[in-house]
Amino acid sequence: MSATAPLVEVRDLRKHFPVRRGLFGTGSGQVHAVDGISFAVAPGETLGLVGESGCGKSTAGRALLRLVQPSEGEIRFRGHDITRLNEPAMLPYRRSMQMIQQDPYASLNPRMTAGEIVEEPLVIHRMGSRVERQERVVQLFERVGLRPEQRHAYPHEFSGGQRQRIGIARALALSPALIVCDEPVSALDVSIQAQIINLLTDLQEELGLSYLFVAHDLAVIEHISHRVAVMYLGRIVELTDRTSLFETPLHPYTEALLSAVPIARVSARGRKRVVLSGDVPSPVNRPSGCHFHTRCPYAHARCRLEEPALRAVRDGHLVACHLHDAGPALPLARPH
Amino acid sequence: MNRIVPRDVASDGGIVPASSEIVLEIDRLQTEFRTPAGIIRAVDGVSCNVRRGETLCVVGESGCGKSVTALSVLRLIPSPPGRIAGGQIRFEGSDLLAMSEVEMERIRGNEISMVFQEPMTSLNPLYTIGRQVGEAIALHQGLSRREAMDRAVAMLQRVAIPDAASRAACYPHQLSGGMRQRVLIATALSCHPKVLIADEPTTARDVTIQAQILDLIREQRETLGTAVVLITHDMGVVAETADRVVVMYAGRKVEEANVADLFDRPAHPYTRGLLGSIPDIEGAARSPGRRPRLTEIKGMVPSLARLPPGCSFAPRCGLATAACREAAPPLLEHRPDHWAACWHAERVLEGVVA
Repeated sequence: MSATAPLVEVRDLRKHFPVRRGLFGTGSGQVHAVDGISFAVAPGETLGLVGESGCGKSTAGRALLRLVQPSEGEIRFRGHDITRLNEPAMLPYRRSMQMIQQDPYASLNPRMTAGEIVEEPLVIHRMGSRVERQERVVQLFERVGLRPEQRHAYPHEFSGGQRQRIGIARALALSPALIVCDEPVSALDVSIQAQIINLLTDLQEELGLSYLFVAHDLAVIEHISHRVAVMYLGRIVELTDRTSLFETPLHPYTEALLSAVPIARVSARGRKRVVLSGDVPSPVNRPSGCHFHTRCPYAHARCRLEEPALRAVRDGHLVACHLHDAGPALPLARPH
Repeated sequence: MNRIVPRDVASDGGIVPASSEIVLEIDRLQTEFRTPAGIIRAVDGVSCNVRRGETLCVVGESGCGKSVTALSVLRLIPSPPGRIAGGQIRFEGSDLLAMSEVEMERIRGNEISMVFQEPMTSLNPLYTIGRQVGEAIALHQGLSRREAMDRAVAMLQRVAIPDAASRAACYPHQLSGGMRQRVLIATALSCHPKVLIADEPTTARDVTIQAQILDLIREQRETLGTAVVLITHDMGVVAETADRVVVMYAGRKVEEANVADLFDRPAHPYTRGLLGSIPDIEGAARSPGRRPRLTEIKGMVPSLARLPPGCSFAPRCGLATAACREAAPPLLEHRPDHWAACWHAERVLEGVVA
């Protein structure tokens, strides 16, 4: 972790959703979507949040922005606790924390022009005169690679990649410090995906933005992140810098995840892989102890009983696994 | 043509190698759709051969015509607005496009079967999965309901569904997405087809489930000698599963080669661009520092209703010259068994960068 003060810090964040069963919704049980996670994002840093569907990564991003109210835990932005601020008190923070969503069509109002969509945050936050706002919109359109005259068109007139550019322009309108990117490229074709990833990287360099980059695609995460957190069933199982994660993963789940990714290189065929059996268990009825023990090739008796804590086994390399409890890390098979 | 694969090879478990015997020939296929913007040609003169026991990957981005090609093979193009306007599709020598609907029903799901991307919409929510897997067996092999059910359970075991006998009594909604995809594969393989067409079978799946499904398809191909046509947009999946690769762009085949040649020495600028645009998961292994920018293919796929004259890729291509904008390049064999439709293929093969 960098020595500078974190821009945003999350401690023991939890979000539980009630499960309703039966006709009258009198139900029992809870989905532990996010179950006690802690991380920090430094200024200008990209923290990748990766995991399979249902691991809680998107909920974590939304809870961080207080788009869903966390059940427990604490969120600090530039040192201020914002966990329980009411909406008016939250407003100045919202200016600094923006979001880019996965589906660029569903996240744009079809009745507004692209220009109105990008201008809207400026209107809500009462920034500038109408003329100044128009100038800002033109500038934003140019910055994200759209022609200024396209601001009079409606979302349906744009392609998927262009819509994502509109979403990025809107997120940039208020000059935020942090953008939560929730699967921003997973709905796009690969050639367009590259354009958007390059744009996000350029913007970060130019504007010193921090990203919480939520994605399931490990190659995209590898490309864009400085540090990476791997989630499984609501918890972070490993958190470290990009090189350590991809070169020396310590959690058996990370190892399996990396070895399952198809590599676009013919000579990578036939490499040793860890193929996990079965599916991710339900987040309502999670396995006891370490949630991963039902699929873990290294599980032993203790894993079924005792939940491993996330702790540093090396400087800046955190892992939640009993294999690494005793002394130095055990070298697991490398993924490549 | 003689049948070389016995009808039921499930028990022998022997490995059938890929051969040069062609089972499926797509010959200058043209498929059109009538739209408010006029007639668009989703598939424009595509030819390719599928050999017994091989995996042919068809790659391209949305709208390139890869799925329409697959649906045309099984004559599943909704008509209207769709129509196969030209060409032939020959299965073991006979033209599927000339067959009656009754004859076609004997082919579909029996000789050639298909797995779609979204398993929930391909399974009937009202029937148990055992009954759905058994349906094709009962229909095509003339077995009784009970015999068909036994075969269905055996198929479910084959695709590694745990506790298959009791799972056969489940309804689709009771299974996870990965399990449903296995059920679809079991259904598609239940009559031991000669050709399995899989259209983005792992696209909505998580990577660990994707690895399971691809392993399963590979294993079936090896033991049953089924030819697999895998339609995908994921170059990683292609690198790991294909024997040969067809690259499509705006309704046409722009390149075809064996998988090693395609990745090592692409001949079409579009293929080269696609390969350069994927983030490299092994980047950390090469350099711990800053990542190089991804290669962008500028612009976007043209609308099929307003294709530019000449080469459809020219507006996005760094190598394009006046010749490219005038006439569409023919598909030529630039190296042995390596075909490309590009006026500058030789320069691309020699590694000239625009």
